[in-house]
Amino acid sequence: MKSVPVKVEHEGRWVATTMGIGEDRFRIDAPLNREIPYKSVVDLEEKKNQIVVTAGANGETVCRIASVEKVLTVLKKFIITQASAYRLNAFFMSPAIRGGVLIQDAKWEKGAIAVMKTGIWFVSQENQVCIPLEDVAGIELTSREIQEKDLNVVKIDHLTENEVVTSFVLCPMTTLQVLYNFLKEATHDSEVHEEIDPLTGQVAMLVYSGMDSSAIENMLKLSHKDLDAIYERLLEMGLAEVLYVRKEVQLTAKGVRYISDSVKSPIA
Amino acid sequence: MGRILIVDDTMFMRTLLKNILFSGGHDIVGEAADGAEAVARYQELKPDLVTMDVVMPKVNGIEALKAIKAADPSAKVIMCTAVGQEQMVKLAVKSGARGYIVKPFQAPKVLEEVKNVLSA
Repeated sequence: MKSVPVKVEHEGRWVATTMGIGEDRFRIDAPLNREIPYKSVVDLEEKKNQIVVTAGANGETVCRIASVEKVLTVLKKFIITQASAYRLNAFFMSPAIRGGVLIQDAKWEKGAIAVMKTGIWFVSQENQVCIPLEDVAGIELTSREIQEKDLNVVKIDHLTENEVVTSFVLCPMTTLQVLYNFLKEATHDSEVHEEIDPLTGQVAMLVYSGMDSSAIENMLKLSHKDLDAIYERLLEMGLAEVLYVRKEVQLTAKGVRYISDSVKSPIA
Repeated sequence: MGRILIVDDTMFMRTLLKNILFSGGHDIVGEAADGAEAVARYQELKPDLVTMDVVMPKVNGIEALKAIKAADPSAKVIMCTAVGQEQMVKLAVKSGARGYIVKPFQAPKVLEEVKNVLSA
């Protein structure tokens, strides 16, 4: 087992140690002194240059590991291909659409998909892509023209650093149906069941497109108060969250005096 | 920055695109609500770029794209369509579209695509 330097979280702080990565398990040296078989791993999360590995039938072992990309890539590959997860061979294209713009040189990659507790992993020779379930914004079983044939695919819309990204998965129909059903079930809470009136829908569409409050008010000829009421509805339905609270101000007597004075001697 | 013609049959989408492109410093030289109007406005305005909706009444976006490209092979057109109609991509690309935007879209990515097509 080859040893590599890593940092792990121990008792609330990060400590430097070494880790051995083997064919069927990895080992973290002191102070953790833990050996974890890949097949006991039930979840794998990725956060920038660190990963969180959850192992054990009840997820009793949680290891937060930070290291260079090369080390994490090797470790992730072993975990994804051996962990206790629903796994299938598939072709995937991720990302295929980013922010609504079709990526013209996007290619289908041959690899495997592992469905874990908190996310789906796509892994190919060259790529490792994680889609956390909480970031899934839409799932659709649809068809796509591939090599001049209409084939069934699962289309997954998900958020990545505030961008809406679309990925596609291609595999035999029976497996595709299982994947689709799983994703539908796992993301059931984010489905919209409420009736949304057309104006609220238009405001939501403009927020999606990146318009700020002033642009929305101008485009839809809404007053500040009307727009606030629509925002309230979006917040109540859980369709939006507060980014920041805009302040509207009026000048005090001191402010008015400053402006009056500045007219006499122009502001520098 | 470019002179852009926006083609879409819905006022809402035209206004949205206008706002996004204007915020990116582009000049919106005209708008059209269907394919036939788009071809006429293109001949008249000679814009640097066209954003063209695919599904429109009278003449659809693909037909309008073909007519514009026939008249001006160097025309730069970005097609714009709704989710689920991505199948049109191949046809649009074959007909000479330089880029493809799927609704709903996000402003920064649209501006990036417009910039790429304009500078190509």
